[in-house]
Amino acid sequence: MNKGGLVVVLGLLLGTAAFAGVYYLGTASSRSLMREPQPELAWLKKEFNLGDAEFARVTQLHEAYLPRCAERCRRIAEQNQKLHQLLGQATDMTPEIRALLLERAQTRAECEAEMLQHFLAVSRTMPAEQGRRYLAWVEQQAFLNSQGMERRHQTGQKSPSGHEHHH
Amino acid sequence: MKSNRDFDDDPALEHVLSQWTVRTPLPPGFQEQVWRRIALAETAGAPSGWSILTRRIEGLFLRPTVALAYLAVWLALGVTIGSLAAQARRQHLESELSVRYVQSINPYQAEVSLP
Repeated sequence: MNKGGLVVVLGLLLGTAAFAGVYYLGTASSRSLMREPQPELAWLKKEFNLGDAEFARVTQLHEAYLPRCAERCRRIAEQNQKLHQLLGQATDMTPEIRALLLERAQTRAECEAEMLQHFLAVSRTMPAEQGRRYLAWVEQQAFLNSQGMERRHQTGQKSPSGHEHHH
Repeated sequence: MKSNRDFDDDPALEHVLSQWTVRTPLPPGFQEQVWRRIALAETAGAPSGWSILTRRIEGLFLRPTVALAYLAVWLALGVTIGSLAAQARRQHLESELSVRYVQSINPYQAEVSLP
């Protein structure tokens, strides 16, 4: 290959190397987040600029909240399954179905109250400004943006920085 | 050693040659064959359009200013596209993590199934 051809190939290699290098360095922080044991909490720390002490407290609150959340998940699933069975047999509204619907609504209200309590506790561990931002975002996601399971497969969900998420 | 040109000065030879006539007829299509072979030889010797173009481009990259500008363009393209791709990937991952956080705390957004 002559010198002219060598310059042409060198240009292509230089462009590829520049792309790969910048992409690798530019995604390093996100990749390190994904390698954390709890990436979603690591993301919370980064997004809301939490210090180590604040993060430790948020993690503690999160871990205390999760078993209660799992218990509610189990109750919701049980109620849904029961409703599914009743609806499969029913040809008319029965007192049993009505009672179950009320029970589900009660569970939902309890869940939302527990969630809100957790959000408020987490926001209080953050610096005031970040706490307000966290609360506004998480309330939007949990209560206002997607009204429960009816919209769980909704296409768009925003992160606190305003990035749209697409499933 | 004598060259052919030396015979031009020989009047006797010149006389004999001027008297010489070819009586054998030429083979059929002789002239066409000759012209065809001449045309083929010319075509084989002439450079094609592609080779002219590549030769010109290669010649262009031998100039240091052109070569440097070309490399700088590739470098800038690589950095710009790499940076845009990294930003898009970062946003996607962070958005994914924000969804995972909400799903982890909201029973109505978590995957609900019986144990």
